[in-house]
Amino acid sequence: MGGLLGLSLLLQHGTTLAAESASAEELLATRCVACHQAEGNDKYSRISHQRKTPEGWLMTIARMQTAHDVPLTDEERRTLVKYLADKQGMAPSETADYRYALERRLNQQETLMEDPQLGEMCVRCHSGGRIAMQGRTEQEWHHLVNFHLGHWPALEYQALSRDRDWLNIALNETVPHLAKRFPLESEAWFKWMEQRPSAESLASRWVFRGHYTGKGEVAGSMTAKYVGDDRFELELDGRYANGELFTGSGTALLHNGHEWRANVDIDGTILRQVFSVVDNEMNGRMFEREHDERGLDFHAVAEAAPTLLAVQPGYVKVGQEQELTLIGSGLNGTPQLGEGIEVLKVLDSSANRMQVQVRVAADAPVGVREVAVGQANGTTLAVYRQISEVRVVPDYAVARIGGNGSPTEKVEGRFDAEAWGIGEDGKTPYRIGFVPATWSVEPFDDEADRLEDVKFAGVMDRETGVFIPGDAGPNPERPMMANNVGNLKVLATVDQGGQVVTGEGQMIVGVQRWVIPPIP
Amino acid sequence: MFKKNNKMLAAGAVMAAVMTAPAMADNAGRALQSGQEYMVVTNYPNNLHVIDVATDQVYKSCDLPDQFGPGTAIVSPDKSRAYVLSNRYSTIYGIELDSCDMSFRAVLAQAPGELARSMYSFAVSADGKELYSVANPSQKNLDHYVVGDPRLQVYSTDAGLDAKPIRMFPAPRQSYLMQAADDGSLYLAADNIYRIDVQTGEREVAIGVRDWQRKGYGQPDVLYLWPKQQVSRDFTILYAAPKFTDDTEDMETAEFMFGFYNINLETGETETQDFAPITEVYFTGARSPKDPSAMYAVLNRLTKYDIATQKLVAFQELDHTYYVLAFNHAGDKLYLAGTFNDIGIHDPETLKKVGSITLPGGDMSTTTPQVFIR
Repeated sequence: MGGLLGLSLLLQHGTTLAAESASAEELLATRCVACHQAEGNDKYSRISHQRKTPEGWLMTIARMQTAHDVPLTDEERRTLVKYLADKQGMAPSETADYRYALERRLNQQETLMEDPQLGEMCVRCHSGGRIAMQGRTEQEWHHLVNFHLGHWPALEYQALSRDRDWLNIALNETVPHLAKRFPLESEAWFKWMEQRPSAESLASRWVFRGHYTGKGEVAGSMTAKYVGDDRFELELDGRYANGELFTGSGTALLHNGHEWRANVDIDGTILRQVFSVVDNEMNGRMFEREHDERGLDFHAVAEAAPTLLAVQPGYVKVGQEQELTLIGSGLNGTPQLGEGIEVLKVLDSSANRMQVQVRVAADAPVGVREVAVGQANGTTLAVYRQISEVRVVPDYAVARIGGNGSPTEKVEGRFDAEAWGIGEDGKTPYRIGFVPATWSVEPFDDEADRLEDVKFAGVMDRETGVFIPGDAGPNPERPMMANNVGNLKVLATVDQGGQVVTGEGQMIVGVQRWVIPPIP
Repeated sequence: MFKKNNKMLAAGAVMAAVMTAPAMADNAGRALQSGQEYMVVTNYPNNLHVIDVATDQVYKSCDLPDQFGPGTAIVSPDKSRAYVLSNRYSTIYGIELDSCDMSFRAVLAQAPGELARSMYSFAVSADGKELYSVANPSQKNLDHYVVGDPRLQVYSTDAGLDAKPIRMFPAPRQSYLMQAADDGSLYLAADNIYRIDVQTGEREVAIGVRDWQRKGYGQPDVLYLWPKQQVSRDFTILYAAPKFTDDTEDMETAEFMFGFYNINLETGETETQDFAPITEVYFTGARSPKDPSAMYAVLNRLTKYDIATQKLVAFQELDHTYYVLAFNHAGDKLYLAGTFNDIGIHDPETLKKVGSITLPGGDMSTTTPQVFIR
């Protein structure tokens, strides 16, 4: 479980650097210098000509250990990762489009694939994020191509290599393109180095909201207490929309002024936090250490200026009474929910959380509206009359067989049903939000039907949209002893009083996940 | 840190130990019988087996040195020695089939710090005196790699256990299979299929692949890792190519075809011939020595096509995937190998399975079975 393992290497509960432990400068000057030439001014060949995320540096240093036998303790590796991620990291704006790779959103469909220089040359094997979240000189990109073919000579013979003069194209076309698009020196990086905040300034009470696929909306607060060395102690106090608690404690480490990495123990399960913190906002994903497909989108604001972070649920239906929970900071006053929505009763109220009973008029205008509580704004509420469309999110996903004595875990498929309505103009679609649905799977095509994929590939939970794949290993009951792989339609059905709307997605139930690098 | 990996490694070690045990039957010194038909085939963890084709029994098993992979074997023209590319694509071994002794070894790397591997690219000359291989080198420097130019390395087959090239020539990148012709020239598949003068290294295109100018077709795709030595002296490689339906050369409407490139190593005659529309994937194909008008192909099914009409004549469902097929000399037995450790025996007429040979040891991976008469 390289990726999860990787993240665990970036973090360690209660680690404090012992007085006698080597500094990063000392490690570079004694260990790394065995191969990397000192260039003066604390610079070394190769090392000083690249920038990466913390996970990027972790992968590099771990490779030095596994492929080149560099002796490093876990603590020494963490010291080096922290130092290099701080000194040669990526500006928030440079990673903004690619954070899905760090956040382990493995069903992301990338746009970098569409770059003709990169799609077939790099992204056919790697996530685009892995390439894009680096800055290198042209010489360094050049070295990277040589490294690839040196390590994996079969690369030249793969599909989309063997049809072309691969090495020549890689060196003479792709490398200059990479150097230009992902350079070592960028304005964004220089600017970030000047303005990046101290870790201490992020010590705060943070108000958060999230959506945990398969479980629903979550909201609460997280207190981050600064304990020195860019480290924090965390206390989470939240709950799901159904009232179930979401509480726990953990530790965080800040790299490069914005790369927030934490472990939080929620009811005995360790969840990772991979966030970027910029301008008093935290954004990212929080997911289980052992099952990175289980997790929640996480958005938090520091408890400073009044902010309305979320309304849960984020939609109301015309002509109905409904309870709403408003999450934010500095919530003070009557919720302003717009035309046609009357607050009947305030059930509960604090600066961070307000529960209200509302009535939505039958003729309230449908669509997405901005809402506020006193000075606090920043979020929206959808009003709908009818769900016109249900979309399965993600619309294309990969689940993976596992378990059954094999060394890899199953990777679940986890889906949400996203409702859409039609605006007052009668034509413009607008997003209502994630709604409860009844879930099922069907064969995706005739082949899947013939091979009985529905029977073998796993089981979809009707209520939650969570798909548990089948066991790993050849199955003697299947033709040719095939694994329990499959190609399935994922169906989400929403019944609005007899009127049924169904959304459809596709799920490949694939073979085991063998290679799990920190950045895919 | 490597808890999960260790678990996997430990499981692997146990499996390897279990699989190794049965291969240890002490038959290494069992000489081959003149005039008998045999088949060599390799598998994990380090086996070179000789099968008696008359009885379809394992006749003997030799241990291969170093790390297994890919374990591709070819047989010398006098049928006394098997050359095996192994040790992770980096070394070619000559194994005496009578004694299992190693009599030849060529490490492809030629300099300290050089990594050099051959992608199934080796062949023995028709007179058995020379061995050819294309090595893909990379220099591992202190803090970076430098990819080198591929080299055709020529060895004398009597060079013993520390064989050094007697000649070296530049070779094209992306070289894979090669076979030597009776006239002394070497046919090498890379971006194109070349005919090479092994004395001068000069090469000419024998069959265009990337550069093929075949009217009505788009660029073919080839992935072929099985240097099958055929009774007919044919060097055959399958291709897949789009065949356009009209002059607009629209890929959307193109029909995709399987075909084969063929070089007859006796005559030098070349062929480029479609044999089937692509309706499923095949890894290998071969014509029967009995009936060259029929093409057999295998991966998830065993199929037989009439080449002239490109029609499917027969097919057979399989109990698992097989990568490679091989005929006996009479053409009345068809062997399926690759993946797992059981070789399927099929009737070339009906395609039905008529038997199997279970090999001591594990997965055959991309092995190439070679059938020969001693």
